[in-house]
Amino acid sequence: MAALPDFQLLHPATASDAIRMRALHPGSRYLAGGTDLLPNMRRGLVATEVVIDLGGVDELTDLHEESSALYIGAGVTLAVIAANRTVQDRLPALAQAASGVAGPTHRVSATLGGNLCLETRCRFYNQSESWREANAFCLKLGSDTCRVATKSPRCYAAFSGDIAPALMVLDAKVEVLGPLGTRVLPISDFYRDDGITWLAMTPDELLVAVRVPLKTGWASAYEKVRVRGAMDFPLAGVAVALRRENNTIADLRIALTGVSSRPEFVNGLDALAGHPLDDTALAIITRRIKLGIKAMETTLIEVPFRRRITPVLAKRMVERLWEMVSTSLS
Amino acid sequence: MTAPRGVGARLPFVDGIEKVTGAARYTADLSSTGALVGRILRSPYAHAELLEVDISEALKLPGVRAVVTGADCDQPYGVIPIAQNEFPLARDRVRYYGDPVAAVAAVDEVTAIEALSRIRLRVRELPAFFSSADARKPNAVLLHDNKPGNIEREVHNEFGDTDAGFAQADVVREELYECAEVHHAMMEPDAALAVFDAERGHLTLYSVSQVPYYVHLTLARCLKMEMAHIRVIKPFVGGGFGHRTEVLNFEVICAMLARAARGTVRLVLSREETFLTHRGRPESQIRMKLGLAKDGRITACQAEVIQRGGAYGGYGLVTILYSGALLHGLYDLPAVKYDGYRVYSNTPPCGAMRGHGTVNIRFAFESLLDAMAKELGLDPFEVRRRNLLQAPTETINGLKVLSYGLPQCLDWVEKASGWIERHGQLEQKGPLRRGLGMGCSHFVSGSAKPVHWSGEPHAVIILKLDFDASVTILTGAADIGQGSSTILTQIVAEVLGLGYDRLRIVANDSAITPKDNGSYSSRVTFMVGNAALDAAENLKRLLVTAAARRLKVSVAEIEWLGEAAIVAADPERRISFTEVVEEALVGTGTLLIKGTFTCPPEFQGGKHRGGAVGSTMGFSYTAQVVEVSVDMDLGKVAVEKVWAAIDCGLAINPMSVEGQVQGAIWMGMGQAISEETVYEQGRHQAANLLDYRVPTIVESPDIDVHIVESLDPNGPFGAKEASEGPLSGFPSALAAAVEDAIGIRFTALPITQMRVFDALQKKPQTTPPESVSTASARGDT
Amino acid sequence: MDCGGWNDPRNGYPMKKILRLSVNGKPREDAVAENALLIDYLRDTLGLTGTKQGCDGGECGACTVLVDSQPRLACSTLAHSLAGRKVETIESLSHEGNLSRLQRAFHEHLGTQCGFCTPGMIMAAEALLRTNPHPDRTAIRAALAGNLCRCTGYVKIIESVEAAAQEQSV
Ligand SMILES: Cc1cc2nc3c(=O)[nH]c(=O)nc-3n(C[C@H](O)[C@H](O)[C@H](O)COP(=O)(O)OP(=O)(O)OC[C@H]3O[C@@H](n4cnc5c(N)ncnc54)[C@H](O)[C@@H]3O)c2cc1C
Ligand code: SF4
Ligand code: FES
Ligand code: FES
Repeated sequence: MAALPDFQLLHPATASDAIRMRALHPGSRYLAGGTDLLPNMRRGLVATEVVIDLGGVDELTDLHEESSALYIGAGVTLAVIAANRTVQDRLPALAQAASGVAGPTHRVSATLGGNLCLETRCRFYNQSESWREANAFCLKLGSDTCRVATKSPRCYAAFSGDIAPALMVLDAKVEVLGPLGTRVLPISDFYRDDGITWLAMTPDELLVAVRVPLKTGWASAYEKVRVRGAMDFPLAGVAVALRRENNTIADLRIALTGVSSRPEFVNGLDALAGHPLDDTALAIITRRIKLGIKAMETTLIEVPFRRRITPVLAKRMVERLWEMVSTSLS
Repeated sequence: MTAPRGVGARLPFVDGIEKVTGAARYTADLSSTGALVGRILRSPYAHAELLEVDISEALKLPGVRAVVTGADCDQPYGVIPIAQNEFPLARDRVRYYGDPVAAVAAVDEVTAIEALSRIRLRVRELPAFFSSADARKPNAVLLHDNKPGNIEREVHNEFGDTDAGFAQADVVREELYECAEVHHAMMEPDAALAVFDAERGHLTLYSVSQVPYYVHLTLARCLKMEMAHIRVIKPFVGGGFGHRTEVLNFEVICAMLARAARGTVRLVLSREETFLTHRGRPESQIRMKLGLAKDGRITACQAEVIQRGGAYGGYGLVTILYSGALLHGLYDLPAVKYDGYRVYSNTPPCGAMRGHGTVNIRFAFESLLDAMAKELGLDPFEVRRRNLLQAPTETINGLKVLSYGLPQCLDWVEKASGWIERHGQLEQKGPLRRGLGMGCSHFVSGSAKPVHWSGEPHAVIILKLDFDASVTILTGAADIGQGSSTILTQIVAEVLGLGYDRLRIVANDSAITPKDNGSYSSRVTFMVGNAALDAAENLKRLLVTAAARRLKVSVAEIEWLGEAAIVAADPERRISFTEVVEEALVGTGTLLIKGTFTCPPEFQGGKHRGGAVGSTMGFSYTAQVVEVSVDMDLGKVAVEKVWAAIDCGLAINPMSVEGQVQGAIWMGMGQAISEETVYEQGRHQAANLLDYRVPTIVESPDIDVHIVESLDPNGPFGAKEASEGPLSGFPSALAAAVEDAIGIRFTALPITQMRVFDALQKKPQTTPPESVSTASARGDT
Repeated sequence: MDCGGWNDPRNGYPMKKILRLSVNGKPREDAVAENALLIDYLRDTLGLTGTKQGCDGGECGACTVLVDSQPRLACSTLAHSLAGRKVETIESLSHEGNLSRLQRAFHEHLGTQCGFCTPGMIMAAEALLRTNPHPDRTAIRAALAGNLCRCTGYVKIIESVEAAAQEQSV
């Protein structure tokens, strides 16, 4: 089993220290829980001479309620998020997503920031060095050909984090710190549709926190398709948030993960506002979701299945939330 | 009544304390200060002629102590003496992606890796074949020149008259079944530590083997060393399940490196490399045909099996023979025709895996039997009861069945699962449908004919008794976690009536312990157990004689109490065990008492070619019922509960039997629902524990185990095997339960969510159950 | 602030630095390479081979140890990330030579067969019982979901944890 390559390990105490170190060592990497970065480094996927350990940056582990939002530092662990009462009560999609990541031991160290910045995945990429070498490498690392789509100029590696779609439907904003200060952007804008540069964050920036509005009248949920009951990344993950007014949809937000190089917010559902949740509405949901799925053969489980099951899962979740809201209102 | 202390006791494992404290040393844990780091260069080609392996640059690297290649060993090896076609390091040809080509020993890992990157290969690539069908095509390049058509072994036999049997049948059906390749995935990755004593020219190898004796033979052969100069030691081993029942290339490579470097080499494989070393259950296509009379009696069975065997022989010919042989021995079959083809392919070699040869064909047989019973309006239990054997008997292919607890197993699982009230009638809850399915299976208790026929007994045990009045059991039987050391200790304790604090067991050091063929085909409890029984009885006889001598009475007057001996008629006259030992050692000193076991020739199988495979002195029998729920929207199958009853003869350790049965059934579940190796152009894409889906605790059900004790006349105290048979009944029971729930019968393994989801989407809502196969469908005859 | 520069990692040798932490109740001060994984520090530097390596990183749970009473994968953790923390391995559980309640339960109820998953399994179960002394089967399954075992089918592992929880309450 490969030892890690040599690197220097830095321990910033503050977020601004961290970005200063980053500026000094442009090729460096942030280390949070390490549950993604370290296995990847052992497979030779990440070559870096400097690792910046965020574990000592206390401000990143801040978790508190503001007037109408929950502030979650990037260093807060998934176990803490999943166990948080406010999250459980007011942001169930987030609680469900957090407790669905990897296994329980991972979640004790895995962080929100690490999950949102999770490296994209592909069956030709998440392999050992000798494996990839024997296959002449690929576009994402080491060559100019994509093995999934040989003529493609881009990489289709799949974003497979569970949390991002939940935050999308909950309308969260991320806070990013760079040399010029802090910028805040909607989480949808944090991602790009590219397997190699999937984050709309410049190399000198640090993800500091997420702010999730605490709205009333919303119901939300997250579910993922996976082979086993634990450990597995989502083959497809669906987050839904719904606001119902009597017998009509007031607001419906759906986001997906595992089916594209970025978490996909499903567009065009605003048209359903004011409509009942009938067959027509469900057909629109299905169509809209299918448009959002850009899955390629990046996993061992075939694309047609992932494409077909995702809307089925989403529809069922929408219907459940619909019922839940009506019973909780009555 | 007091709980049993010896045989029949729920004794915690004798080596369990080391395992729970972390003190147990596995191969990678052995202290190896100063050991060199070994690393293997593996073929980046699926199939190629090896023109040159240039190691000159690697040798120049400071810190490199040895580099070995195929040129350093010209002796092919393989577990079956007539089918040895593998070299520890490839010569002339590489045949699968991952085939070892060269290896280095260096002062540290970084240097070893750097050295590998400096080795240059010059090759001529050859067409590669990744499926049985491609490898069998008329003009396919041969993987091994002496095997036309890339067929490693063809088996054709017929017992009884199948034509007549099918003619008599009221219903004849034929179906194609497919099973994906699966892998052992024992939790301990492969590892070896070789110590070469350059001064003496002696070699000591520590390895994860289930068959240290075969490793010993092979090291002598491949390194051209005297056997007397080799010592093989098996430390604690983290499971095997068949992966380690043959000598594996890394064991020989590690020894070659140590000799070349004239020192100590530690070779710890990655999980990926362990997957590439493979030896698992082959991808199989099975065409099964059965004839049934209206009352459910089976009139004939015909099966064709094609196994994709991988690049080398290994156990392959045994696997393909087993598949045919173990069609027999479970039910009373009047006529059976079998055609088997073991095919070479450019994928890692397959081999023995728990339930060797039986699992896939049992899935096919039980599945088709269920389908036909349904057609005839018979309950699955009923159709099996119509076809039971009557022990003692001999099957048409010459297998002896002397004990047969299957009827009682059926009764128990039928009752425990509430079958009669619940089968076909489980309530629906929301999108969830529930269902029950059942299946039967069996397995040998040790292959009656050893692979290496040497005229020696099948098993030998030595008991050492010395001045300290302790008894040390010396055995070559490899405890790989299945608990064999515990079972042997219990047998000795039972016969001698001694407490466990007086007993010690030393296993697997060729310098100390007697030769043993190894832990495979579930032979240890039966064969080595019998040898232990024999040894203990021999020792007891000696002790009773000594006690009589000291008490000055005849042997017949002594009553043996274990910790003491008394004169039966006069219990006051008593001496302690320590005194008995003192007396027994007078004039002779330390006692080494041997016990042996030999399978009588009449158990060694039919006279036909390959007849030895499948022969055994006793079969274990299992019946099981599986309950599932299926999510109708998403196709997700959850195994809710399993009830299993096993006839293992007498349970020497009921707790251990339960553990073995649970482990076996659960492993069958992995194969049935999620596990499969995946090759992309010969490249293993799931060579890790994330993509090779070993079930987690979350989706693993409770498994209730009931033991039926049929008391085999030949097993030690009536015991038989318990750890392989239960596996093969699971997959078909699961398929049946899914059918019970959703009305669709699957004929390909694993029954994944994708397959179920697709079938549910395609299913016309109201028509009767159909058969879904990813391959071509059924052909009525 | 330590911005580096004084030890250029490109000069060939992994830089060792002093690591101070507590392992199994004893304070330690060792020179450890900056890129050392916790599992290698425990096994190679300290000789604590009870912690096992079962996979190529993060997939099996065999390497589970406790850090400040919480379970942690030693194969996916840098040793130097744990400066000042409290690490516990399987070797620390027995008291005065006697098995801990979980160790005894795993031994007596056959929660261990080959034993390779056992140290990680027991440490994960230990973390569970410290926070939830009376877990039901669902809670046990949830807490051990990252620990693979290939021998037992998990049934007797669950029974072992239940037995340990029971013993603790009497
Ligand atoms: C067996 C296994 C199963 C897994 N299953 C799942 C799963 O089901 N779902 C899932 O979502 N994930 C899964 N993961 C991946 C991973 O465990 C989680 O995504 C986890 O949340 C990552 O968090 P971390 O803190 O450990 O990240 P790290 O490994 O520390 O970091 C991940 C990446 O994010 C970067 N990063 C971290 N923090 C910041 C920051 N504040 N600012 C900028 N960049 C940052 C790092 O540089 C690195 O590139 C699995 C991993 C394994 C090994
Ligand atoms: S999608 Fe293509 S380029 Fe991207 S990782 Fe996979 S093979 Fe490589
Ligand atoms: S060794 Fe497998 S998870 Fe750490
Ligand atoms: S006891 Fe062998 S892996 Fe768990």
